[in-house]
Amino acid sequence: MSPNTSLDVAPGDVDGDRLVAPSQRGSQRAVKKPRAQFTPYSLLVPATAVLAAVVGWPLIQLVIMSFQEFGRAQVFGAPSPFIGFDNYVEVLTDQAFWLVMFRSFAFAAVCVVSTMVMGTLIALLMNALGKVMRLVLSIGLLLAWAMPALTATIVWGWMFDTGYGVVNYVLTRWFGLDYIGHSWLIEPLSFFFVAALIVIWGAIPFVVFTVYAGLTQVPDEVLEASQLDGAGPVQRFRLIIFPYLRSIFLVVFILQIIWDLRVFTQIFALQGIGGIKEQTSTLGVYIYQNSLGTGEYGTGGAIAVITVIVITAISFYYVRQSIKEEEL
Amino acid sequence: MRKLSIAALGVVAALALASCSAGDGGSGESATGDLRVWLVGTDTPQEARDYLIDTFESENPGSTLTIEEQAWGGLVDLLTTNLSGSDSPDLVEVGNTQAAAFTSAGAFLDLTADYDALGGDDLLPGFVEAGSYDGKFYAAPLYSGSRLVFYKKDALAAAGLSVPTTLDEYVSNGEALAEANPGASGIWWPGQDWYNALPFIWENGGEVATFESSGWKSQFSSPGSIAGLKQVQDVMTNASRAPKDANETNPQVGYCEGTTLQLSAPSWVKWSILAPLDAETPGCPDEEANLGVYAMPGKDGGAAQVFAGGSNIAVSAKSAHPELAKKALAIILSDGFQEIYGANGLVPAKLSLADTLGTDEVAAAISEAAGAARLTPPSPKWADVEASGALTDFFVQIAQGGDVASLAKDLDAKIDSILNG
Repeated sequence: MSPNTSLDVAPGDVDGDRLVAPSQRGSQRAVKKPRAQFTPYSLLVPATAVLAAVVGWPLIQLVIMSFQEFGRAQVFGAPSPFIGFDNYVEVLTDQAFWLVMFRSFAFAAVCVVSTMVMGTLIALLMNALGKVMRLVLSIGLLLAWAMPALTATIVWGWMFDTGYGVVNYVLTRWFGLDYIGHSWLIEPLSFFFVAALIVIWGAIPFVVFTVYAGLTQVPDEVLEASQLDGAGPVQRFRLIIFPYLRSIFLVVFILQIIWDLRVFTQIFALQGIGGIKEQTSTLGVYIYQNSLGTGEYGTGGAIAVITVIVITAISFYYVRQSIKEEEL
Repeated sequence: MRKLSIAALGVVAALALASCSAGDGGSGESATGDLRVWLVGTDTPQEARDYLIDTFESENPGSTLTIEEQAWGGLVDLLTTNLSGSDSPDLVEVGNTQAAAFTSAGAFLDLTADYDALGGDDLLPGFVEAGSYDGKFYAAPLYSGSRLVFYKKDALAAAGLSVPTTLDEYVSNGEALAEANPGASGIWWPGQDWYNALPFIWENGGEVATFESSGWKSQFSSPGSIAGLKQVQDVMTNASRAPKDANETNPQVGYCEGTTLQLSAPSWVKWSILAPLDAETPGCPDEEANLGVYAMPGKDGGAAQVFAGGSNIAVSAKSAHPELAKKALAIILSDGFQEIYGANGLVPAKLSLADTLGTDEVAAAISEAAGAARLTPPSPKWADVEASGALTDFFVQIAQGGDVASLAKDLDAKIDSILNG
């Protein structure tokens, strides 16, 4: 028994003539406590320092810049005067910005829903498959997950190429449709169809693996019992699997929204291949075009700050929800 | 705990050191160093690159020179971020229409004192103007290259046509060729290629933008420009089978495949078309005898006013070795280096070297086209107009068959706001 246990300072213990009060023990503990509290915080220091340097500092710069007149001359050292909310007024009164905002949300909605539905279905399929096919499927998904977005977009771009693409070839030769020289990117809807295909294709593996990992945690007994009680597959998913995986679905869902709202690479690379930039820009690309494209870093900064606020609001909701889940 | 704080201290120290070393780059230049030169695209022949490296390194023992090749796409962004950083390249090539964006921003070293040593009034005047700002000389001419029309001699002969002498004939030839060869382009013109639309605008009496007392005024919706743009739309829809929204890279693919019968492109495209079969981007060397070339004809005969493409070259204001960079620049503007451009079908940066182009068909077409070549508006913000993508969007919509007048009006509004914004 260690001398620190409460037994050896039980009330009635004698120190000279006096009783040693338990409260003194308490104060001894209070001296030790801060030390114990300091360790977890100090463990956070490296991560916080890196985050502050890599994310925090640029973010502060961005906010400052969004209140300044900041063009290419300012990049090379000219003074950058503060102009209050002028950049924000300019952005928020620009119809193009609202179109871009609407487009981004619509695109993200389609991508998120498709990714979640297909990802969940494939995860369920994976759960039901035998060992060999599951391995084959996992490897296929891993390859898609490992492919850099830029590479994927360029390869998909070749497949949908107007003159030499395999998609036009197959549709024309095998299905007898007239797709010779059909441009997939010139119409905005068709452009976003191709873009969504690339984004969803790249995002599905993450959903599949996460949901699959969750599925392995659903106790078989419960599923078996419900089956005996006559629950069909849809009911089993809705009433048993889904509630078990609720928190996983929530995390994946919110992450997908954030990723799809700020999608950049796929849209930017596709715009280089074809299409009309003005009709196909989403938030990420719009920020780039305003900042680096036309050299209006102040306006671009304002758009970026607005985007950060929107995405932070969504993330905040996610963090609050997951804290609630933990408390339950 | 102790280890952790030591590690944290280490990180802080490393960060502090990094910012220190970044800060004292400009003070005091050592006699030797490693120069980084940015050339853009494949325009500059390998022979010229070797000449530059060998000459520089033998004249400056102990120093090295590395050429880093960049792409034309997104160059303005790339230069903005790299020239303003602490790790700036020393010498950079920049498109002549983009130069003003950087000369006006203070990104380049002032070369006014070196103007005479670099060639003085022998340097191409239009490019000296493009590289100057506020009476100071920042970016020297590198080379110029006019656009020429390349064509398949046998296709033109088979259709009973001859080399056109007027712009209207050029258009009707293209349409006749497209009609006689279903699926092929009489004039290959992908929608994003706006440079080739400029001669149509200028020849019809239009302008891109003019400077008035109140500022820049975009002129795409002026009557002359509209007439030219309608002709552009005519060619894009009736003579071209190129994708309506593609860009103008790799023109040799269609040419070698036989689906491109004529195309207007920079003079060095000849070497893309005739590239050996085992090259990284192969061409069709067996077409050499069949490859014809002429200068785009003007509305009333003679050469059309085409876009004077080309490059300037400048020393970065943040170069760690400005003196060495100036020495390398002197080599680049020396006759020995510039003659290699001439021999490869690019117009050298010096007027006195014009005869190095040779006397063949290409050379004759180049000098004819160069005589009438013109530049885009000399506004520091013009590069932003190009980078915004408004022009490529506009011509893709023209190729798509959109309403020229209303599209031109929208474009004017956009360009006005960028140039005067």
